[in-house]
This record gives sequence, C-alpha cells and structure tokens, in this order.
Amino acid sequence: MAFALEKKAVAGWLERLLKLGEVIAPTRSPTGDVLFSNIRSGSDVAWDLPNPLHPPKEFVLPQTDPLVQIKGNGQHHEVEAIHDSRRRFLVNARSCDVKGIAFLSRMHEMEPADASYLRRSNNLTIISVACPTPCPSGFCICTDSGPFLNDSYDAQLTDLGESYLVEVGSAKGEAAVAEGQGLFRRASDDEVSQRKRLEETAKRHFGDETCHFGAAMRRISTGRVPDALWEKMSDWCLECGGCNVICPTCYCFSVKDLARDGAWVRCRLRDSCQYAAFTLEASGHNPRPEKKDRMKRRFFHKVSAQYYTRDGAVGCVGCGRCVQVCLGATHMPAVVAAIRKGSWHE
Amino acid sequence: MNDVFLPDLARLTDLCDETPDTRTFRLHFRDSSKGKGFRFLPGQFIELSVFGYGEAPFCIASSPTRPDALETTVRRTGQLTDALHKLGDGDEVGVRGPFGNGFDVAAAEGKDLLFIAGGIGLPPLRSLIWNVLDERSRFGRVTILYGARTPADLVYKRELEEWRTRSDVEFHVTVDSAQPGWTGPVGVVPTLFKKVELHPETSLAYVCGPPIMIKIVVQDLVAIGFKEEAIISTLERMMQCGIGKCNHCAIGHRYVCRDGPVFNYGQIKELVD
Repeated sequence: MAFALEKKAVAGWLERLLKLGEVIAPTRSPTGDVLFSNIRSGSDVAWDLPNPLHPPKEFVLPQTDPLVQIKGNGQHHEVEAIHDSRRRFLVNARSCDVKGIAFLSRMHEMEPADASYLRRSNNLTIISVACPTPCPSGFCICTDSGPFLNDSYDAQLTDLGESYLVEVGSAKGEAAVAEGQGLFRRASDDEVSQRKRLEETAKRHFGDETCHFGAAMRRISTGRVPDALWEKMSDWCLECGGCNVICPTCYCFSVKDLARDGAWVRCRLRDSCQYAAFTLEASGHNPRPEKKDRMKRRFFHKVSAQYYTRDGAVGCVGCGRCVQVCLGATHMPAVVAAIRKGSWHE
Repeated sequence: MNDVFLPDLARLTDLCDETPDTRTFRLHFRDSSKGKGFRFLPGQFIELSVFGYGEAPFCIASSPTRPDALETTVRRTGQLTDALHKLGDGDEVGVRGPFGNGFDVAAAEGKDLLFIAGGIGLPPLRSLIWNVLDERSRFGRVTILYGARTPADLVYKRELEEWRTRSDVEFHVTVDSAQPGWTGPVGVVPTLFKKVELHPETSLAYVCGPPIMIKIVVQDLVAIGFKEEAIISTLERMMQCGIGKCNHCAIGHRYVCRDGPVFNYGQIKELVD
C-alpha cells in the first residue's frame, strides 16, 4: 500500500511521533559533524544532509550496551537484566542502513535469540528515504541494499518534489502512518510509476566500477587468495578498527564490567576483529597473531560463501563508509577488486 | 526470550589447590532449582563471572554422574583468574551455561578409551574420565596417559593415585623434568605410548593439552593407525559470549563455543581460518 504525504505536512507527522517516543534523524552537530541524534521538534529534520559517518546501529546495538546490573559484594550479590524498551522512530535513514539493521536483526534472532538487541529493534520503526542518486563512495547496487528498497523497511519515502511517496513495509510502518491520520492520502498510479522511474534512473547513475563480489567470494571461500596478497594488503592496514566502528553490519563484541555509581554494570562493548587482542588468550597464545590473519578473517566473515549461506547476504551493505574512513585504503571495494585481479598496488 | 547474558549466582566451596597456580572450585547455585536443572555433558563449559572483572570460559571439570559437585579447575593466568583465586570459601560468582557440544558419551559405549592429557589439559578429560569410571561396565579398556612439566604441575594428585591403583584402569604419568623425590618416568607424554598396548581399531583417543603436545600426539596416533574420527580433542579459544555471537572464537564459519569445543581430528583439519 502506498500513500502520499505533502512535504509541508511532514513536520506535523513527526510531531505526533514525538509524542509516542524518541525520533532520531541525521542532524548537524555544533562541531559540524553529521550524526544520527534525537530531534526535539518535527521541523528539526534536515532532509538534505549527507548520510552520517556513523550508522544508526547505535540505536539497536550501542557501542556500550548495558546488559546486567550487578550489586553487592563478597558473599551476596544481586544481578538484574537491564531492559531498554524505549520506542524509537528512525527518520531519514538511507536504504543501506535499513539493510544494515535488517542484517544485525537476523544475527541476533538466531538461536539463542538476544533479548537485549531484539527489545530495541522491535521497538524501532524505520522511516527511510530512497536515494535518487548514489552517494560518492556508495556501491549499494552491488549488495542488493539500495538505492531504493523493496523490503526490510517499515516505511520508505521517495522524494517526488512537493510530496513524498510513502510505501509501508511492515505493521510498525503501518502504525506510524496511522498516527498521521488526515495527513496522508492514497498515492495515485502516476505517483507510483514516478517512483519506479526514479529508481531506474538512480540505478543508471552507478558506474561500471563498483564492487564485484562474485570472484572474490569464490576465492575467499575456497582459500584461494594467496597468503602473499593478504600480506601485501595488510601492510596498508593501520589496525585502527575504524572499518568495524562505522560498518553497519559489524557486531563483534566483548563483555566487560564497568563501574557505575558504586556498582557494576556488565556491558557489551563493540569490538574490532582487526585488533590483535581480539583473539589473544590469557595464556599469551594468539591464533591470529599477524595483521594478515586478521584481515583475512574480516573478509572471510563478510564475503565468504560459507557466511553468505548462513546469513543470506554478504556482510556489506555498500554504504561506502569504509572507503571514507580507511587510511590505508584497504576498504571493501579495494580488497574485493584486488582479490579479483589477484594483485595489490605496490 | 531469555536475557542470555544474565548469570546465575553460585557460591564457591571446597577450594582445593592443585598446584601453586591452579585451584579447583566447587560451585553451588544459590537458587537450588538452578542446580538441579543444570544438566551438562563432559566437555561442555561455563562462562564464569568474577563480578567487577567480567566473565571467562572454563571447562566443567566434574562429571555429570556427580551432579552435586559441579567443579572447575582454573590456572591463575590473567586478571580475571587472578581475581578468582583471591575469592574464598562462600564467595559468590556468576555462572552461565553449560555451553558447547561436549563429548558424545553414547558413542564411546563399548569402545576402548585412551585419554591423553598434558598439564592443565586434564580438567576437561577428568569430567569424561569420571563419567566413564562411574559407569565402568559400559566401556571397554580405559587407558590414561598424563604428563606435566614438573611433578608440582600435576593436577588432581589424589585422583591420579586412585587411577594408578585401580585394576580396571591403566594409568601412566610422566614429567618433562624431574624434581627430587620423583621416581616415575621423565619425558614428554608421547614417550608413554611405548608403555601401553594400543588397539586403534577398537579405540577412541581423547587428547587435551598445550597446542604443541596435541600436534605431536595426534601425529603419533595417526601413525599408530587411529582413524581421524577416532581422535577427539577439545579446542580453546577466547570466548566471550558462549553462544556464537561475539565472534571471538570463530574459526572460518565455525564457532568453538557452539560447534565445539569438542571436535574430532577430521573436523579440526577442515577448520580453516
């Protein structure tokens, strides 16, 4: 079911959503960075901002995720699970990030399901905006995660000039649209076909040189990437972990007890498989001691057929954030291309 | 939907020093129904919390045939184990689990069983050994070969003596370097092979110890004629969640915490990182 919403009515709709929960959208911080953060009024959404460098996974899988409250000491403790049941609306998210959260949700739904994650994701309604043109480093067309979506969204907006076409993709999306009663009208056939034309045009904007996973997947899955190539590529990796931090599908974590107000809070902290300490055991033994071992691991997890079979998708949504942050240019498209060609630049 | 990271509270009792840096702890769930419901297989592990320090994986060192004495044996190696060793009788820890696949006890029925352990590799096998000895008639010959760096590094010394004197167990122990008073053999674990009669065609071999020991022992077992599927080991990796989500223990697309930690040699060979 598709609806239309006049742009001038959007702020009013968001005002109504703000009464139900938090509304999160890309905003420009005082220091100039674009971040997903809470808005205070329906007119606060700056629709033309670029996609934030940090994906919105923070709202389902925070960098520091409090799991268990621990009180007491010595011979008597009390432990209690911490629940975050806040209702949230994520507005003006891009297609890639919607697919990123869908990927994370599949991971955390796998048995045994992770209640902490699912409580947040079940209470999150995603109102995304389809991309009429590719972003500078994006390659979502190669990962089936944009520029327009045909699944995974709760509601998807398409900019038609004076109005948005609003597609509803879930019960949560339906509920959000229902809150805007009187603001939405049924979309005309013309508006629906306009959306289709915009999607075709957006796809044509992608160049030929994007990210061709096929050959890389075959070689990674069968161990046919020469060790020397991993070594050459990993020479350029600075082990900063930035790729993991900004990746919409990265979810590796560690569990630590953090002191808070005289008690302990057991937290899940997002971790990086590119750090040497990620696999370091207390004995001093490290199964992945070399940078090349860790880089190989990262790309096996993201691109191998073994994981593709398990997860139903590559662990990449083509957002291009790793292209932006990687100082050594060992980002997804570069590594995939190097594996395909069998060589890395000197 | 469970809060998968919420630990159960358990009290430590019967602390027993095995070596200068290794101690066995008995765990009693504060909620006794948790204790009764805690069913496990030999080879499975728990995530044990020392509050304020986090949690770490430790194998269950006791046998499921003795459900009232849930035990784990821990060497003091890092921050968390150091903190654990500072806890005393009656202090509380957190427990999640049991996790992992564990040893397939039913598949061992009627077989001759060869246990080969090095140093701190004995605790996971001890769980299976006592399971086997408590149900002795279900199994064929039982042979236990154990080695440590020095006599002081041998764990479960009283039980080793019991195994040595039992007529239904063949037991040999060796040390890499002797100390005054040691009258037993000196040499690495594989040197014990010449002391025992092996029956590869009817046996399962369980191997646990430091990586280098496992490597050498497995090579020897293959040379002796053991099939890859008959050589069974339990792998160690850094494990944070125990449920195949945190990715620390992944080898390829397999997870030591969930698909293991028990693998046969054929499976281990296929684990490609």
